[in-house]
Amino acid sequence: MDSSINENPSPTRPRWRKVAYGGMQPGFDDNHTDETFLEAMVMNANVVKRSMLKVMQDSVSISQYLCIVALVVLVWTCTLRSTLNENTLLLLDVSLLGLGFLVLILTAEMMSLNLLFHYFINISFFTTGLYVSAPIYQTLTRSISSDSIWAVTVSLLILHLFLHDYSGSTIRAPGALKNPNLTSCISLNASVVASVFIASRLPSRIQVFAIMLFSLQVFLFAPLVTYCIKKYSFQLHLWFSFGLMVLTLAFVYMLHRLLFVLLLGLLVFVTVVCPYWLIRIQEYKFEINGPWDEAKLCFDITE
Amino acid sequence: MGDQKRHRILMVSDFFYPNFGGVENHIYYLSQCLLKLGHKVVVLTHAYGNRSGVRYMTGRLKVYYIPWKPFLMQNTLPTFYGTLPIMRTILIREKISLVHGHQAFSTLCHEALMHARTMGYKVVFTDHSLYGFADVGSIHMNKVLQFTLADVSQAICVSHTSKENTVLRSGLPPEKVFVIPNAVDTAMFTPAPEKLSHNEIVIIVISRLVYRKGADLLVEVIPEICRLFSNVRFIVGGDGPKRVRLEEMREKNSLQDRVEMLGAVPHARVRSVLISGHIFLNSSLTEAFCIAILEAASCGLLTVSTRVGGVPEVLPDDMIVLAEPDPSDMVRAIRKAISILPKIDPQVMHLRMKKLYNWHDVAKRTEIVYDRALGCSNQNLVDRLSRYLPCGGWAGKLFCLVMIIDFLLWRLLQLWQPTEDIEEVPDFSLPNSECPEFKEDGSLSLR
Repeated sequence: MDSSINENPSPTRPRWRKVAYGGMQPGFDDNHTDETFLEAMVMNANVVKRSMLKVMQDSVSISQYLCIVALVVLVWTCTLRSTLNENTLLLLDVSLLGLGFLVLILTAEMMSLNLLFHYFINISFFTTGLYVSAPIYQTLTRSISSDSIWAVTVSLLILHLFLHDYSGSTIRAPGALKNPNLTSCISLNASVVASVFIASRLPSRIQVFAIMLFSLQVFLFAPLVTYCIKKYSFQLHLWFSFGLMVLTLAFVYMLHRLLFVLLLGLLVFVTVVCPYWLIRIQEYKFEINGPWDEAKLCFDITE
Repeated sequence: MGDQKRHRILMVSDFFYPNFGGVENHIYYLSQCLLKLGHKVVVLTHAYGNRSGVRYMTGRLKVYYIPWKPFLMQNTLPTFYGTLPIMRTILIREKISLVHGHQAFSTLCHEALMHARTMGYKVVFTDHSLYGFADVGSIHMNKVLQFTLADVSQAICVSHTSKENTVLRSGLPPEKVFVIPNAVDTAMFTPAPEKLSHNEIVIIVISRLVYRKGADLLVEVIPEICRLFSNVRFIVGGDGPKRVRLEEMREKNSLQDRVEMLGAVPHARVRSVLISGHIFLNSSLTEAFCIAILEAASCGLLTVSTRVGGVPEVLPDDMIVLAEPDPSDMVRAIRKAISILPKIDPQVMHLRMKKLYNWHDVAKRTEIVYDRALGCSNQNLVDRLSRYLPCGGWAGKLFCLVMIIDFLLWRLLQLWQPTEDIEEVPDFSLPNSECPEFKEDGSLSLR
């Protein structure tokens, strides 16, 4: 037997020790459960206690993005019905670009003239590329029926909304720490493909270019702009989202009553019902940590 | 002592010879010692390559390699009811009284235990690993474990930390779980005949080079130690996906003459690698019980290990230096180990290990568990089903359905292939001269 078992002078049996060596401990069965059993277990160590108001405020990012996508779909519908002509669209594009740049200049901390010039050059290349490849998009889906196109576009948009990274931006903002992960890249690609499908249904080349520019501007840069606004001032972010929601609801009301009801229902669900549901089911959260956990490395593995 | 009841045990697992590993060795050594105690042991596992059918191993250990090929990580394809006919035949033919399953990750084990319970046999389950709770794989694995252990007679874990982990994962009452650790064959792992000189200190690492075994910690620790101590050399045995990183570290720091990479070391050569060193380094991130540490201690090496899982329970404090799984703390531990190295005598350590760990002791303690399991009352189907219902809202009913179908299939099989038609293997005892050699001090030498 191991000689380091402490023996009392009195005839009581030695204390039980949490060791595996030395065979069966004298006086104790192998299935003896000591008072120290599960002593080192820690429950719910990393669980964040949430308040309803904070969760509702955080859910505003989601409803804001839903409204942005709803506006894009609105513009697509109007263009496909020829309610909006190409000049209006081009004007819309340029004004959105200008607004975006303005927001970036006003809110970003590390904006220098060099960086701005760099962005401007990139945007020019991007626009030129789109203009040059517009004929390709125009004839891309000529042989496919419209129903398939609408179905695929709707599915892609749903995929895009489902996998979107609502807390940040896939295009890295200056100063953002998180790398984009796989699902946010998939969602971005889904939205781009949806835009291409819609653009391919339009008759004239200028229209195709204008709608592509509009869609890509919004899908690529809107998350960046909203991220910069949120980082700059949370109040501004809340007011901006609220204004955007009102605007979207007004436009959708003018278009179609049923869709308006659906959109309103969805926004209420996201902003009110989901936070309440989350807080209700948080009570059942049971996170277990203890000495049996796999150790986490405290350094990054650089390959 | 009286005439102890002779048990007839069927060991079931996906992991057995010709693979080498913790579970495989455990089953083998435990079976050999139980055979020596007079019980009958039969092992059931899946086919390995061409190795299919019945084989006999040392001590007339009968192994059934059933003709199922492994499909993922040494596990057979879980077909729920596919193994019922062959299991029934083996159980009746060998007149088994108790089924002992090993390792929660083995699908064959879970299926076998389910069928054994349907047919009314008592079951014992041994868990050899630690699992988490949070990721998708663990959640499903724990649910399967909950199903299997809902109706088990007794359970065994290899360390106290493993017992806590198993109780939390499966919801078993703690009194049903016995802690019986693994042991080491001290006759095979003897220290070097002559004590090594301390001019140059050799640190041995033998493990699979994967993330789980802390290969990334090694990449950080080895250059630091080589920088701080000029007389320290490393020997790294083992292979795996992280070997590339270790080779890169070796190149980048120009340690080709101070770090020797051996590649995969076959089990028979492990002892010869161990006795060429002074210190054994184990950097795993999770271990239920670490047999490698026991092998190193039996060869007289001082161990430095990360304080994870069941490792603090394995060796007394003067034979092991523990560190947090953090490079700077591991460097501190190695420094301490180097400073206490002159006081270590490998022969004394080996003799202590002989007393601390012994497969015969493990077999005796397991026998007590078997006696307990056989003392459990028999239950009919309806009583047993009530044990599955608390497993979960949906899961409980699903498990009950699975067991009912298993029961019906068993009845069908009884009609189709009656019990009387299955030949039973006659018992015959082995003359003493053919037994494997067992030394008096309890160590087992296997020829």
